[in-house]
Amino acid sequence: MPVAVTHVDRRTRTATVALRGDLVIPTAQAMYGQLRGLARRRDVRGVIVDFADAGRVDTSGIAVVSLVQRMMAKSGKRLELVGLGEKHRAALELVQHAGPARLEREAEPPGLALRVGGAVLAYVSACRELGALAIDIVRQAWRVVTRKKTLPKGALVEQMARMGVDAVPIVALLGGLLGTTLAFQGVVLLHRFGAGQFVADMIGLSMVREFGPMMTAIILTGRTGAAIAAELGTMRVGAEIDALETMGVSPTRFLLLPRLGALTIVQPILSLFAMFVGIMGGMLITALVIHVPAAVFWDRVVDRVTLMDFIHGLGKSIAFAWIIGLAACHLGMRATADTTSVGNATTRTVVASVFFIILVDAIVATLASLGGT
Amino acid sequence: MTGDVLLSCKGVTVGYDDSPVLSGVDLEIHRGEIVTLLGGSGCGKSTLLRAITGLLAPLSGTVTLLGRDVYALTEDERRALLRHTGMAFQRDALFSALPVIDNVALPLRELTRLPETVICEIARIKLGLVGLAGLEHRLPASLSGGQRKRAALARASILDPEIIFCDEPSAGLDPVVAAELDDTLRRFRDALGVTIVVVTHELASIRAIADRAIMFGDGHVLAEGTVAELEDSSEEGVYTFFHARAS
Repeated sequence: MPVAVTHVDRRTRTATVALRGDLVIPTAQAMYGQLRGLARRRDVRGVIVDFADAGRVDTSGIAVVSLVQRMMAKSGKRLELVGLGEKHRAALELVQHAGPARLEREAEPPGLALRVGGAVLAYVSACRELGALAIDIVRQAWRVVTRKKTLPKGALVEQMARMGVDAVPIVALLGGLLGTTLAFQGVVLLHRFGAGQFVADMIGLSMVREFGPMMTAIILTGRTGAAIAAELGTMRVGAEIDALETMGVSPTRFLLLPRLGALTIVQPILSLFAMFVGIMGGMLITALVIHVPAAVFWDRVVDRVTLMDFIHGLGKSIAFAWIIGLAACHLGMRATADTTSVGNATTRTVVASVFFIILVDAIVATLASLGGT
Repeated sequence: MTGDVLLSCKGVTVGYDDSPVLSGVDLEIHRGEIVTLLGGSGCGKSTLLRAITGLLAPLSGTVTLLGRDVYALTEDERRALLRHTGMAFQRDALFSALPVIDNVALPLRELTRLPETVICEIARIKLGLVGLAGLEHRLPASLSGGQRKRAALARASILDPEIIFCDEPSAGLDPVVAAELDDTLRRFRDALGVTIVVVTHELASIRAIADRAIMFGDGHVLAEGTVAELEDSSEEGVYTFFHARAS
């Protein structure tokens, strides 16, 4: 730290601080404390800082002088700088180039009513935007179906490969594990009552109506929904979506339709695959643990699971695909220019998709139960 | 060339994936100079800057910064060395989630133990110097391209480094803002004694600020000297750079 020799003249109530050495970042803190201490003393009306023996002064030194000067001026005291060399003057003049301190005031935190009102308005606005996006998707899809416009060449196949083919191993693994877990639970309960072969009924129905579509949807939410939101959000940040708009190309047709189309096709196919693998897993466990022959197990599944059950499961799969796709596209496109919004869009896509998937599943299960299907 | 050598490159070859962009670069930058690195787009001047600032290891040669071989240091030693330098990137590299003042004050908060009041005052002075007084609490997204570049320069200079590197600081700015930025760079050098290395191809900036210029082309150093010397050069690439545009 710079040696600062202080002398207080009691007659004139003036403190003189003679600086020795550099006033730079490593020494500025001590200097600030010393000068502020003097500025606060009641018996000191003015401070003279003598730079005659001072070395280099950097911006931290200038900041210390500027702060203490303002602090003293507020309480009617004065700070005088003497013995300034040419370099010191040049450095201190930087404050004049910087202009007066006029920090923008930070906004006051809003009250409860404003916060609630703001949240409601934001929610309404988001719903309106989602509605507009859904209408635009339908409009653009209609143009593509009626061949007035086309999708970008190869985009649908590329998206299907990314979302579908690449997801096969994880769907197979988790589907198989889910089937075996269900089988273990069923074996423990049903075998006790001599109804071991009914494990096939339970696994068949559960995988086809509930677990196949639901598990695939959750995998695709984390794997594909999050990726779509991040990709669109990054494109928004990089002004790529603005570029499409200014070129007169619809981002909905160019970016969203291939992704939504691919999800709509891939989700039911993967669900079917998950159902099959899950049933196979269950069959294996039942055969190994309670020795129900595979043929008997398969016959019971074919006997018990009807076409309506498949329609039920695959219908839900398509609904889940649209939930994931709409959430990812809507939230990804709403990303703003800062990079944290991409992370937020991804997180919210996963949370919103999982929430609505479970909600829709519960509603469909209730309606199906009431309707007796 | 008055001061001691702050930066030297000896036989430096830079490039990507073993494909050289610039070969056999020998140069020296002295304390208190403003040096511009010139050349057409893609000639490798920004790549060389990345090598100088420790971001891209050269394919061969040595980079000596403040007396130390940048690539012979450990990671920690290199970080400590780079604290004596500042870098204003071509694409500003501001943190989009932080207000301007927090972007600028970040190095002080992370690397020093100065009181918050002093940190804010230093940041305010630096923002004032680059003409951004009053915009401290704005997010980078709400600033114009020129304002963002100036905020990046304020951040690069916040630790009062011995040497500041600027990659295309005035590219895309209107002539008035570009001239103000040039004035700011000169003021940094004159008042704080900072050495400044500017990568640019803006002729107006080169003429306004450069004590010395080094011109690159055809994968090597084409010419070196004062701007006047380069303008009088008969070397084809140099002549074309300075005169083809003017005509």
